[in-house]
Amino acid sequence: MLADRAQRSRPAVNWGRFLRSFGTLIGFLLIVVFFWSQRPATFMSVRNLLNITQQVSILGIVAFTMTVVMVVGDFDLSVGTMASLSGIIVGLMLQNDHALGTAILVALLAGAAGGILNGVLIAYVGILPFVATLATLTVFSGAASSLSGGRTIFGQVFPDGLVDFANGGIPLLTLNEQVVRIPHLTLIALIVLAVVWFVLEQTVFGRRLYAIGGNMEASRLAGVRVRFLRLLTFVITGLGASLAGVVLTSQLATANPTLGDGLMLNAIAAVFLGMTMSQEGEPRVLGTLVGVLLIGVLANGFTQVGVDTYVQRILTGVIIIASVTLSSISRRRS
Amino acid sequence: MLRRSLIIAVLLFAVVFGGAAAQDAPTIAVVTPYLAQPGTQFMVEAFQAAAAEKGWNVSVIDTAGDVPAVNARIQDVVTQGVDAIVINVDPSQAPALAEAVEAGIPVFGMDAGSAPEVLVNVTSNGYEMAAVTATYVVDRLNGAGRVVMFGFNPYPPVQKRGVIAEAIFGNTPDIEVIEFIEPDVTDGGIADSRARMEAILAANPEPGSISAVWAAWDQPALGALQAIEAAGREGEGIVITGIDANPQALEAICAGGNFEASIAQDFTGIGGLVAEQIERYLAGETLTQAVVYAPTTLITAANAACPAQ
Repeated sequence: MLADRAQRSRPAVNWGRFLRSFGTLIGFLLIVVFFWSQRPATFMSVRNLLNITQQVSILGIVAFTMTVVMVVGDFDLSVGTMASLSGIIVGLMLQNDHALGTAILVALLAGAAGGILNGVLIAYVGILPFVATLATLTVFSGAASSLSGGRTIFGQVFPDGLVDFANGGIPLLTLNEQVVRIPHLTLIALIVLAVVWFVLEQTVFGRRLYAIGGNMEASRLAGVRVRFLRLLTFVITGLGASLAGVVLTSQLATANPTLGDGLMLNAIAAVFLGMTMSQEGEPRVLGTLVGVLLIGVLANGFTQVGVDTYVQRILTGVIIIASVTLSSISRRRS
Repeated sequence: MLRRSLIIAVLLFAVVFGGAAAQDAPTIAVVTPYLAQPGTQFMVEAFQAAAAEKGWNVSVIDTAGDVPAVNARIQDVVTQGVDAIVINVDPSQAPALAEAVEAGIPVFGMDAGSAPEVLVNVTSNGYEMAAVTATYVVDRLNGAGRVVMFGFNPYPPVQKRGVIAEAIFGNTPDIEVIEFIEPDVTDGGIADSRARMEAILAANPEPGSISAVWAAWDQPALGALQAIEAAGREGEGIVITGIDANPQALEAICAGGNFEASIAQDFTGIGGLVAEQIERYLAGETLTQAVVYAPTTLITAANAACPAQ
C-alpha cells in the first residue's frame, strides 16, 4: 500500500512542479486558443489584441501597484474608491478652471495622502489591513460623493486634447486601410509595470519587501524598518489607484463618484492569479500581468463569442477558482 | 486527476459555447450598465421579444453598473463586427462609439441621450410630459390658483420639463407661481423637498393659499406630500403632480390623497420602437429622424394599477 502510493506519487510530483509554474499560463493560452478558434477572423487580430491591452490598462495600473502591498502580505481594499475620488478631484479642478497639470498633481497627491493614511493605520496603529482599508474605502467613497454632490461631471469640462490622448495611440501600421495604433493607455500601463518590476525585482527595497512578506518578525529583528516600508507600500498603491482614476476619467471624459469602484476586486483577483505562477506562491508583478491579461481576455472573448453576461461572470469566477485550486493542489503534492 | 479535470473543463466550455455558432441572421448587441433597473429591463425585454420575432441574434451585455466597462464591451462588439449596437447609457461617457462609427456599425440609443455617434435615439419627450402634467394642474384648478413649482435646472432633461410648465402656467392669467424651488438632490430629493415645502406652508398659513404643487419628477412631489400631511393640511385640496410614475408615487396616487397624477414612460414601447428603427435601417432605409419619441401616459387613480383594496 505504502509502496503503491510512493510509486504513484512520483509522476504526480513532476506534474505538480510543472503545473505550479505553468498551469495558469497554460490555462491562459488554452483560453486564448479557444477564443481564437471560435472567432478566427476577429479575436486574434492585431487591432483586437491592442484593444484588450487598452481595456486592461487601468486595471493593470491598479493591480501592478497592488502587487507591492501584497508582497508584504497586506492588501488594500480602498484602491477602487480612491480611483473614483481622484477622478472627481480632476473633474472638479478642471471645472473650476485650474490647469490640467495642477489637477492631475493634486489628484496624485490625494492618492499618496490616502496611502499614508492607510499605511499609518496599518503599520503604526496596528489595525488589520482588511479593517483599515475597508474603513478608508468608505471614507474615500464618501469624500468623492460629497465633493461632487453625488453628481457626474462630464462634457466640455475635460479638454479635448486630454480625452483624445487617452483614447488615442501611436500609429503602428495600416491594416485593411485602418490605422492600427498602440494605445497611449497601454503605454502608461507598461511604464507602471516596468517601474514596479524594477522596484520589486532589482532593488534592495524590493528584496526587503519580499523578506517582510516571508517573515515579518525575522525581518524586524534583522534590522529592516518594517513599519516604514509597509507604509511606503501603501503610498505606492495609493499613487497607482489615483493614477488609474485620472486615466479613467480622462478616457471617459467623465468623473463620477463611483466610476472606479469596480477596480478593486479585479485587481486583487489578478494578483492572486499571478501568485499561482510563482514557485513560492508569492506575488510577482509579471504574474500579476498574466492575471490582468487573463481577466481582460475573458471579458473580451466572452463578449465576442456572445456568452450571456451572467454566465460570463460565473465562468470567470470558476476559472479563477480552478486556477488557484490547481496551483494549491500541485504545491501540496510537492 | 488533474488531466481529467482539465478535460472536463474543456468539455464544459464546448457545451457552453456549442450553441453560439455564427449564423447569417443580423447580430445586434445591446450594451447597458443598468439592466438591474426596472425601466431598462422592460425596454430590453421588449426589444428582445421584437428581435426574436424578426429572427435576429441579440446578445445583451450588462456590465452591472460599471460604466467604464461599457466602453470596453462596445469596442469588443465593434471588433466582433455586429450589425448594430443598441446602447442604454449616456453616449458622452462612451468614447468607443466613435470606433463603431468608423467601422460603419450603426448605434441606436434606447433612452440613451443624443450624440452625433447615435443614429437614432428612442426616448420619451420631456417637453410633452411636462405639458401634460402642467395642463392637468391648470384644468384641476379651473385655471385659477397659486402654484409651487419644483424643478432642477442644472440637469438638462429636468430643466426642459420646468421651462414648459412655466410657460403653461404663465399663459394662464389667473395662475400665480408663488415659488420655483430647486431642491438639494443629493439625498434623493425627497427630504430637502419636504423641508422646503414645510417652509412654504409656514409662510402661507391660510387654507387655500396654496392650490397646487407641480414637480418635475416624483421625489419632490413625494416630499411636498409628506410636508402637507405633516402640517395637517391634506384637507385643503392641494393638487400634487410628479413625473416618472415611480412605485412610491404610484402608491401615493393609489392612496387617493393630494398626490393626484404622474406620467409613466412607456419603456416597453421604447424597446419595440428601437427594434423597428433597426429593421428599417437593415432594410436599407435612410433614417433622418435622430430622436424618436415613445408616447407617455398620464397616470391618475383612475388608471393606475393599484392593488385591490
